[in-house]
Amino acid sequence: MGGRTAAVLAGLRRGGRFSTQVFAAIARDRILWRVAWRNVWRNGRRTGVVVTAIAVGIAGAVLSMAIQFGMVFQMVETAIATDLGHVQVHAPGFRDDPGLDHRLDDGGRAGGVALDELPQVAAWSPRVRASGLITSPRSSAGIQLIAIEPAREAAITVVSDSMVAGAYLDGDARRVLIGQALADRLHVKVGSKVVVSATDVHGDLAGEAFRVAGLYRTASLEMDRTTVFVRLSEGQKLLALGEAVSELVVRARDRKDAADLAAELGRRLGSEADVRTWRELAPLLVYFVDMFDQMAWIVYAAVFIAMAFGIANVLLMAVFERTREIGVMRSIGMNGQRVVGLVTLESVFLVLVGLAAGFALTGLGLFLLRDGIDLSRWAQGLNALGVSNTITPVLRPADVLAPVVVATITALLAGLWPAIRASRAQPADALRHV
Amino acid sequence: MAILEARGVHKVYETRGVETTAVNGVDLALEPGEFTVLYGPSGCGKTTLLNLLGALDEPTRGTVHLLGRDLGQLSSAALAQLRLHELGFIFQAYNLIPVLTARENVEFVMELQGVPAGDRKARSDAILAEVGLAEMADKRPLEMSGGQQQRVAVARAIVGRPAVVLADEPTANLDSHTASALLDLMLQLNRESGVTFLFSTHDPMVIEKARRRVRLLDGRIEADEREA
Repeated sequence: MGGRTAAVLAGLRRGGRFSTQVFAAIARDRILWRVAWRNVWRNGRRTGVVVTAIAVGIAGAVLSMAIQFGMVFQMVETAIATDLGHVQVHAPGFRDDPGLDHRLDDGGRAGGVALDELPQVAAWSPRVRASGLITSPRSSAGIQLIAIEPAREAAITVVSDSMVAGAYLDGDARRVLIGQALADRLHVKVGSKVVVSATDVHGDLAGEAFRVAGLYRTASLEMDRTTVFVRLSEGQKLLALGEAVSELVVRARDRKDAADLAAELGRRLGSEADVRTWRELAPLLVYFVDMFDQMAWIVYAAVFIAMAFGIANVLLMAVFERTREIGVMRSIGMNGQRVVGLVTLESVFLVLVGLAAGFALTGLGLFLLRDGIDLSRWAQGLNALGVSNTITPVLRPADVLAPVVVATITALLAGLWPAIRASRAQPADALRHV
Repeated sequence: MAILEARGVHKVYETRGVETTAVNGVDLALEPGEFTVLYGPSGCGKTTLLNLLGALDEPTRGTVHLLGRDLGQLSSAALAQLRLHELGFIFQAYNLIPVLTARENVEFVMELQGVPAGDRKARSDAILAEVGLAEMADKRPLEMSGGQQQRVAVARAIVGRPAVVLADEPTANLDSHTASALLDLMLQLNRESGVTFLFSTHDPMVIEKARRRVRLLDGRIEADEREA
C-alpha cells in the first residue's frame, strides 16, 4: 500500500513538473502561439463547425441563465417592492408570533431617529400589520390588513404606482386600497362600501366601514388577493393600538447595503428591537435564488462536458492528420512539452474563438430581448410566483466570467489527451505515418 | 575523433510476431566535415540507419555516439536538445511546416534554440539569400515549387549551426536540374562552413559527387569507399 502511494505521489510530482515545463514553454515560445493560431484555421470548415457548436452552447446557456435570473431577480424585487423592503424593524418576538402582542409601543420613534442618521437609508415607514376579514355586500375574504402612512409608504413600495382604478389613499377619511383580484372576488369597485374587521389588541373583535379609494395590481397575485391598505391612524384606532406600530420598513439606497444597514441599526437599537434583512424575512425566496445558482452550474456542466468531447474529437483528428508534421517538429528539436503546449494552445484558441462568437450571439439575443419576453399567456401562474407578465433577461458579471473560466479549463483538459498522444510518438514512427 | 559513430547497431521490427531485421550490425564512423552518402537498393535499411544515427529511433542492439555521447543513455528531453542543437534534418518530402512562411520555417529552429529575435532575422535573411530564396521569404510552402521548398529545408537544417546534417533522399522528388543545383549548394555549404553531411540516396548523381560512399545491402555495410 505504502509503495503504491509512493508511486502515485512520484507520478503526481512528475506530472506537476511536466505541466510546469509545458506552461513555461507556452509563456516563452511565441512561435507556438503563431503555429497554434494558424493551425486552428487550417481546416476552416471543421473549426467553423466546432466554433458554432461552442457558440450556440454558450449563448444558449448564458441566455437561459439571464432569462431565469431575470425571473428570480423579479421575484426578489417584487417581494422587496411590494412588502418586504430591504430591512424591517420589529419588537423582539414578532418573528415567532407576528401578532399585536409584539409591537413597537413608541410608534417606532427610536428606530426612526436611528434611521434618519444612517446614510444608507433611502426611506422608511411605520406600519401596523394584522390579520382580518373584509366583507362586501356580496362576499367576504380573509385579508392581511396593513395600515400605512401613505406618503412614506409611497417612497418604499410600488403600491402607489400600481393603481389601476381610483386613487391612492388621499385626504378623505376611512378609505381602503384593495387589489384588483380581491375587488373581483368581492364584486366591488371604486367607491363601494366594505367592512374591515379584525381582532384588536385586547382580543376583542373590531370592525369599521370603509369606502374603496382605489384598486391596485402588482406582479404579486398573492398580494393583490389578500392585502388591504388603510391609513396608519385609522388602523391604530381600529385595533386599539394607541400610537404603537407593528414594524418599521426600510428601503436602502442599494440592496447590497441591506446587511450592513441591518447590523448597524441592530447595534444602535440594542435588544429593544429585532432588525432583519429581506433575506432573513423571506428564506424561501433566498432558497429560490440559491437553487437557481446551483442549477446554473448544472446547466454549465452539461454544456461544457458536451463541448469537451467535441473539442477532444476535433483535436484528436487534427493531431492524427498531422502526425507526420509533429514527427518533423520532434525531429528538428521540439520536445514533448512544446508539443503538448502547441496542441493545448490550439484547444484554448478554439474555445476562445467559440466563446467570442458565443458572447456575440448572447449580445444579439439580449439586444433582441431588451424589451423583455411577453409571457402574458402564463400570467396567472407567473403572478402567483411574484413575476410580472414580461421577463427581462438580467446578465450578471458572474454569468459572463463563469463560462470563460470553465471553458478555458475545459479546453485545457480536452486538449490534454490529444496533446499527450502527440508528444509520446517516437519521431521515427511519426515520420513513417502517411 | 568521429563526430557520429554507430557500433554494432541492429534494428529489428516486429509485426504480428514476425521479426524483420532492417539494420544488421552496422559499424560506421563519420569524421567532421565529411560529405558521405549511404546508398543501396530500396529496403536495404538506409532510412532506418539514418533515423538511428539522428536520434529519431532507438537501436535494438548496439550504440550510437554523437559528439562522444551515447544516445542510448540520454532521456527523451536530452535527445530533443541534441537534435535541436547538434543535428539538422532534410527529408525527401521537404516537410516544411505549412502554416509558416519560408522565413518563419527557417527561424523556427532558432526560436526553439532561444536565439534573440534580432539575430534570428539577420541569420534567416542571410541563409535564405545563400540558398537563393531572398525574394520568397514571405511565401508559404504551398506557394513554392518543390525545389524551392527543399532549399528552404536545407536552410532550416543548417541555420541552427548543427554538427551533422542528415538528409534522407533529398533529391528524390526533384527534377535533375533542380537536384543538381541543390547538391551543389550543399557541397558549397560543406566546403565553406565545414558542416558534416550524411545522405541516404539512390540518385547516381548524388553518389558520384559524394567524397565517401557507403553501400548498404540487407541492413549491412557492403562497401565503404573514400575519395583519394
